[in-house]
Amino acid sequence: MSFVLTPKHLEQIEELKGRYPSAHALALPLLWMVQEQEGVITLDAIDCIAPYCDLPSMELYRIATFYTMFHLEPVGTYHIQLCKTLSCALCGKGEILERLQAKLGIKAGETTADGRFTISQVECLGSCGSAPVMQINEEYHENLTPQKIDEILEALE
Amino acid sequence: MSQVTITVDAQDYRVEEGSLLIEVLIQNGIKIPYFCYHEALGADGNCRMCMVEIEGQKRPQIACDTIVKEGMGVRTKGENINGVRQRILELELINHPVDCPVCDQAGECKLQDFYMDYGLYDSHIDMRQKIHGKKHVDLGSNVMLDQERCVLCARCTRFTADVTKTHELGIIGRGDHARVSTMPGRKLENPYAMNVVDLCPVGALTSKDFRFHQRVWFLKSTPSVCHGCAMGCNIFIDHNKAKYKEDTIYRFRPRRNDAVNGHFICDAGRLSYKALQENRQKEFELGGDSCTEQEALEAVKTAILEAQNITILIDANLYNEEIERIIVFASGIGATVLCPSDCYYDESFGDTWLKKPWRAANIEYINRTEIEHRLPEGSVDLLISFNHPSSKTVDSRLKIIFATHQGHKADILLPISLFSESSGSLTNIHGMTQHCEKAVEGEAPDLIRLVDMIEGEL
Repeated sequence: MSFVLTPKHLEQIEELKGRYPSAHALALPLLWMVQEQEGVITLDAIDCIAPYCDLPSMELYRIATFYTMFHLEPVGTYHIQLCKTLSCALCGKGEILERLQAKLGIKAGETTADGRFTISQVECLGSCGSAPVMQINEEYHENLTPQKIDEILEALE
Repeated sequence: MSQVTITVDAQDYRVEEGSLLIEVLIQNGIKIPYFCYHEALGADGNCRMCMVEIEGQKRPQIACDTIVKEGMGVRTKGENINGVRQRILELELINHPVDCPVCDQAGECKLQDFYMDYGLYDSHIDMRQKIHGKKHVDLGSNVMLDQERCVLCARCTRFTADVTKTHELGIIGRGDHARVSTMPGRKLENPYAMNVVDLCPVGALTSKDFRFHQRVWFLKSTPSVCHGCAMGCNIFIDHNKAKYKEDTIYRFRPRRNDAVNGHFICDAGRLSYKALQENRQKEFELGGDSCTEQEALEAVKTAILEAQNITILIDANLYNEEIERIIVFASGIGATVLCPSDCYYDESFGDTWLKKPWRAANIEYINRTEIEHRLPEGSVDLLISFNHPSSKTVDSRLKIIFATHQGHKADILLPISLFSESSGSLTNIHGMTQHCEKAVEGEAPDLIRLVDMIEGEL
């Protein structure tokens, strides 16, 4: 096993333990820690964190595959998550996606060859009032138009 | 436990308080469809097939999550509940490929059975809309997965999680894309893995060893006991005699016996049917050349009459009746009967569940007789071996071997039937005596008949 949790995360685990009635409940926070550290959830990391939450690796793998926000394959440096749910869909998510795909030369679900960008379509980001919306890594971009997309991508490049 | 009275389809039943409704229904022979519930794995409540109507409840309830109560009124039949089951079945079948003609489970498939009982609808689903999964995933341990046929009942994953506790299988993904899988690059690998094939109610998990070999409706099932070790797990021998072919065993399946093996058997025992049928000794032989039964029996008689001393080796896999017959025969000709047992002991085979290190089905019966577990001492003039694996390590002037399989060197060689070709009883390591029925019609003669004939000649 080459994966190890950082001292900061180990400290957090100790703190979290007291919050839950059983160690099983640490599964989700632990998977988040792995993703934060590595950007991706590897089997190696799953094997490493399994004892902390007293679950077999298979259970953690199941959880990781169930939630779409956990990545079992590496994503680009900039992970563009475009909302595809009702409000955004009605307010022009389609042309936003088209512009994103045209600018980056990839389709939704793909990563650019240089590993910088990944486009995903996700369910509601909870910001319907400012649709269409996308999230790049941790940051929200609202009231999108194709022109805005050009500006945002250029600012990143 | 106190008893309560419940009414099922207008008939009263006295049942134990606190028991699961589905168990009560199954135990009383009341027809109820289900996928995910299993007597060895308990209820999971995911398949929704076991819906029943309960008086006073607005909606139908699943029987596997209902505890019986005094005065409970249950309906398992009727247009209403059948309609509910039909709709659930249709949901189960949304992404099912309906490839029964090429599916090995056909004939013993719960989906097929329930469709005939409750389905028979015109599907709302166009074949082209179905989500496709992988059709032949080799999970390991001879288990093949067809993701499209799976109903996600989770029996297989619960088996690896709760019974073997090896956790190789899990349901991954979500929604229409949920599927049974191992972790990437890892295999289903435990000595009981093939039980998931029996547990699977549909054709999702099939045995690599059995699939495509035989349609199940051609098979005859004969109750027997596994000879793989001293545990004596109960099995069904599934066999078929095709036209112009020998009666052939196609698989062993576990037969439920809560006192011995529960619902399961180990993979080694399950696959032991193959070696059983290979390299059979079919001919009577004299000095390595084939001869007639009469010539062989004549030679045995002469050898016994001329022998200075006789030692008999007896295989610890023979039936109790055969062992008793040989003991009587031995005392008649003044022979010493031995069963050298070192060759049966394999520490690495044993575990804490069904696999016993004593790899001989009837070692316990030998223990209960006067037969000693040692090799013969001093010089042996005539050795008669009843299929004992150590017969070649014993030096003797003359050797007579009764053998089920080839590979023995003897002056006189007589073929004998397999356990599957005759009936008899076995005493397992816990002292339980169990009966095995004759499954297959074999060519080799029955051991007791041969001994009777030899004794008659003397």
